[in-house]
Amino acid sequence: MNTLIQCPKCQAWLLEGVFNQLELSPCPACGVPLQAEVFPALFRRINPGQSGEAIMIEGESSCFYHPEKKAVLPCQGCGRFLCALCDCELNGQHFCPACLETGKTKGKIKSLENQRTLYDSIALSLAIYPLLIFYFTLVTAPVVLFVAIRYWNTPLSIVHRTKIRYVLAIVLAFMQIAAWGLLFVTLAGRHRS
Amino acid sequence: MPEKEYQRLTRARSRSAFAVAFMSRSSLWLGKDHLLCVDSSGYTETYKRFYFRDIQAFTLVATKRQTVWNGVLLVPIVICLAGLATNLSFPPRGEAATIITWAIFTVIFIVAFLIHNLLGPTCICHLRTAVQTEELPSLNRLRRVRKVLERIRPFIIAVQGELPPEEISFRMRAAVGSPDSATMAPSVPASPPPGANRPDAPPVIS
Repeated sequence: MNTLIQCPKCQAWLLEGVFNQLELSPCPACGVPLQAEVFPALFRRINPGQSGEAIMIEGESSCFYHPEKKAVLPCQGCGRFLCALCDCELNGQHFCPACLETGKTKGKIKSLENQRTLYDSIALSLAIYPLLIFYFTLVTAPVVLFVAIRYWNTPLSIVHRTKIRYVLAIVLAFMQIAAWGLLFVTLAGRHRS
Repeated sequence: MPEKEYQRLTRARSRSAFAVAFMSRSSLWLGKDHLLCVDSSGYTETYKRFYFRDIQAFTLVATKRQTVWNGVLLVPIVICLAGLATNLSFPPRGEAATIITWAIFTVIFIVAFLIHNLLGPTCICHLRTAVQTEELPSLNRLRRVRKVLERIRPFIIAVQGELPPEEISFRMRAAVGSPDSATMAPSVPASPPPGANRPDAPPVIS
């Protein structure tokens, strides 16, 4: 375990004088003003992983993935029995590796979710930017409606966000479609007369 | 109204001056038991969670960005002021439109200069956990870093407890094992923990 803090500029190891001070202090090696706020986790030992105990008594519940190992708890995702090796703890919950992977890929475990696509921003951009060259809106306006309706219920940003972008995008798209409709009707009227 | 899951700590800031062009912005949010760093490209967001129990340290280093930008902004200010003065003072006097144009540009650069200096000294802030050291681009001003640290420190202390500065130095020296050396060159590796060479030893996170 590396408990040493390095100067971000010169990479020298810092030993004293800069920790949990109220003001910046010069790095003993390069002199750049710096400050380090250190917490007890820096000195905490990382517990090594457990390998799981072998089954000694016949009839004892075994791990789903390692039938020769003793089960210690069930997975909170699928209910399968897990040995100590297969037990993956996440914020006090215990999952098997498969559920952890599924939870990450399908977004079932929120704390594992590390990316989201902002379809509301895409819809709004598609509604606004093509206005610079209005002809594009003939294609983009229906696309905006499709995106807004198709992804209306898709989760937005993980930090609070409203659906105002979708609403604005839909309003703009309807206005663009209405403008095109009006233009076509006018042109058709002229063509007839 | 339901309680918000995250509270904003910093507004979105670009990762670098050039990242503005690519809309890559980063912001920091306070969750119930973690800090959330949101990197946004405008159309996608990437999340990094730093749980209070895992945060080992914050390091902040003062940078010269403020001085550099002051220099960068002073050049157009001087040019614009010179242009304005020339049009106002020396005959033949410039047209009203020219004077107004010079005045507008002068005001724009002076306002930018003032805002840049009112925000205070610049810095780079790193957050360290057992497995990574992550730069927090949204914490690029010393004043803002201190404000954020003031806000999150109680949460971290509530989970981990507190360390007095003397104890930190003592533990650091104990970790190095050479009490006389104030610093060590980065090329010199720390002595491996006891038993690290054993074949059945668990992996060491360094």
